[in-house]
Order: sequence, then structure tokens, then C-alpha cells
Amino acid sequence: MNVQFVAAVEEIPEGQRKIVQVGKRSVGIFNIRGKYYALLNYCPHYGAELCKGLVSGTTMESHVYEFIYGKDQEIIRCPWHGWEFDIKTGCSLFDEQVKAKRFEVIVQDGQIGLILGAQSKRE
Amino acid sequence: MTKQPINIIDCDVHNSLRSHMDLVPYMPDAMKRRLIESGTGALYSGYYSPVGVPRKDATPPGGGPAGSDPGFLVEQLIDQHRIDYCLLTGSMYDASSGHDADYAAAIISAYNDFMLDHWIGKHHSFKGTIAVSTLDPHLAAREIDRMGPHPDMVAVIMSSAARMPYGQRFYHPIYEAAERQGLPVMIHPGTEGAGSTNGPTAAGYPSYYLEWHTCLSQNFMAHLVSLVCEGVFEKYPNLKFVLVEGGVAWLPHLMWRLDKNYKALRAQVPWLKKLPSQYIREHCYLTTQPIEEPERPGDLITLFNMIDAENMLLFSSDYPHWDFDDPHAILKAMPAEMKRKIYYENAKQLFKL
Repeated sequence: MNVQFVAAVEEIPEGQRKIVQVGKRSVGIFNIRGKYYALLNYCPHYGAELCKGLVSGTTMESHVYEFIYGKDQEIIRCPWHGWEFDIKTGCSLFDEQVKAKRFEVIVQDGQIGLILGAQSKRE
Repeated sequence: MTKQPINIIDCDVHNSLRSHMDLVPYMPDAMKRRLIESGTGALYSGYYSPVGVPRKDATPPGGGPAGSDPGFLVEQLIDQHRIDYCLLTGSMYDASSGHDADYAAAIISAYNDFMLDHWIGKHHSFKGTIAVSTLDPHLAAREIDRMGPHPDMVAVIMSSAARMPYGQRFYHPIYEAAERQGLPVMIHPGTEGAGSTNGPTAAGYPSYYLEWHTCLSQNFMAHLVSLVCEGVFEKYPNLKFVLVEGGVAWLPHLMWRLDKNYKALRAQVPWLKKLPSQYIREHCYLTTQPIEEPERPGDLITLFNMIDAENMLLFSSDYPHWDFDDPHAILKAMPAEMKRKIYYENAKQLFKL
């Protein structure tokens, strides 16, 4: 298992993020209510730095004229064009097949580590 | 080679009153004097057409306005162009351009009764559309429930000229009633810019009828975007909507632009569960007249193929108006199967003919 430790837990408090460089890859680490998640800092739409976007919740599927707020802190919106992605899954909200690449995260001895596979050409 | 005969349903045929006095017997007593003195209250856009609106060859031999003699309409349209069914769309939906909701509703009810008495049943091809005024959607819903059960009434028709976009909740009682009666809702232009309606183009009031007529498509685009985004087709999942005489070739642009924006902005309309274009494909139809005529006729077919238009278009002639489309003269480059659907099959299913 290829684990790269990229930050100490104190560096990313709840609700915050940090963008780290791992070899050629730029990766965003997010702390959502004490758990860490990681996405490649690359939007599948046009390659913008996805992880620099607005982190928020969103409106959940609802009846007409009903607004239900949910997924607080779990949504990142790409700074280009505003597409919403679920940070926990990488999936876009308009089509589950449109995904940002995500990485598994482990925490060991106060250090946040990314589990990296082989780098694909798209990255 | 002899040409294959083709079945035709004409989804926009304008029957006309001989005069507003035709409606006097059908009006409530309290409003008869106003009708006699002032007419139906259907306003005129104010845009001058140098060719007029009715075809000059469509005046009935016995006199009266074009479209006012059922026998001559059968002779000049149904028989001459071999039409199987025609939807009588009238023009009384224009009453929505006025300011008095109760008068508009009464005039339109009177017209619907007149049409039943004087047109429906006079020829086997005649199918009725229930006109409603949009000034008070609750009165419109009542009219839909009153007329809807008649077996020859196959749709609801209202003006595309309006005070606000048609997806907004003010109008939902109309859609609820139409869905309840199993009737598609049609919108038709005519009074854009008149009376209580909004300006006829997004930029304001143009100078000429040429511009007014061209820009009618803008109004249809705004209504269609509103219908989808306000969730009308989520709230009324069995509702079908027909855009009559608003043009066709703009539809790919609108679908692509709306889908693109939805990907960014879906949080504003969380009730939508699929791409906006998918709602349009599943719920909306457009009539063909006045068909766009590009220099290379095949370009229009290419454009239809981009959006699966063969399942969304309905043939219409707009008889007896000046920009009438002859079903046998237009769309010659169209493949036979596409033509069969657009000229007949789609309308047959939609209107349960």
C-alpha cells in the first residue's frame, strides 16, 4: 500500500481544507466533522483547480418549491462553472457518472496519509 | 412513381366568429350590453401587417371573415389538402390580453359554447380545443372542468402573450385541471405586447410587424424555461404542453444552454430530478408552422435529428392565416418515417384521436 503522509491533523481543523502537492498531483484534503476526505484538485469538466472552490451544503432532492438544506460542509463547487461535487464520494450532483477522483485517507499518529494508486494519464 | 398518400392531423386551424354578435346568446345577461357595444375585448398587438393576417383567398364566397364558414373551411383546407383531423384553435384565447378577468372568462366560455354548437359535429375532421383566459387561473380551471368531459374537446388552448412566465405558481390551477381532464395545454401567439401582456420582445417594442413576428420565439423560449425550472412537470407528471406557432429551430440551443446552466445551478431548483432537456423531450411538443426555411432544406432535418425532434413535432398549417404551410409543399427533404410521426402519429397519440 502506497501511503503518503501529507499533513498533521492540527493543520486542517473541522470545516477547513488544505491543498497539498504529492509528486505531480495536487490534492485537496477536507475535514468534514472530524473525518478526512481527499479529492484530486482537478475538475473532470475543464481541469480547473476544483479544491479551491466554495465548500458548503446544498439543497437536497425535494418537492416543488420545497428547499431542504443538507450535506453541510460536504459539497465543493468548482471555481469554474460552479458544478457541485460530493466531497465524500467525488460524484457530481447532476450526474453520478461525472466524478472527481477521490483518494482514501488514513490517520496515523496525528498524521494524515493518502493512499495512492498508480498515477493515471488524466492526472 | 405515385406518391404514397400520407395521413395528416393539422394542429392549428383558426375557425372564426362571423362577428362578435355570434356570442351574444351565450353571454351572461349582465355582460351582454358590453359585448354588443364593445366587442370581445381581445386586443390587437398594434403591429401593422402589410399583407393582413387572413389569407386573401380564404374569404368565404358567402361573405364573412376567413375561417367563419365551416363548409368553406372543409372545402379549402380539409378536402383540398387531404387532412384527416384538424384542431380548431380559434383565436378567443386572445381575450387574456385584456384587463378584466371576469369579462375575459365569460367571453371565452361563450365562445367555447358557440364552437360546440356551430362547429363540433359539423364535420368528422373537426376537433375542439377549450379556450381559457389566463387572467384568473381558477376560472380557467373551472372552464376546463366544464368543457373537458366533451369527447371532441381534445386540448386546452391559451395565449402565449402573458403577464408573467407560465411556469409560475399563479398558473398551476390550470395545469392541475388539464392533467385531471387528461388534456394537453397549448399556447398560441397573437396579442404579444397588447393590453395587460408584457412587451413582445425581450428588448422591448420593435417598430415593425416583421420584427414582432420573428421575435415571438423569444416569448416561447421564456415560457418553456419557466415551465421546466418551476417544476411544473414534476408537480403534474402527466401534463403535456404544446407550443404552437412559436418556431422550432431554436430548441437545440435552448436545451443545450439550459442543461449547461443546470449543471452549475441545480441547487436553485432541487425538485428537478433529471436534465431540463429531458423534461422537454418527455412533456413538450412544438407545432411546425411557420416552418423555418434554410437555404439547404436538409439542414433543418439535420437540426431535427440533433434533438430527437421527430417525437416532439406536430404538423400545423395555421389556415387561414397569411403564413399558412401547405403540408404537401413543405418539408420535402424529410424522411418518410419522420414525416409519418410529425404529420400524424404524434398528434394521434397526444390528442387520443
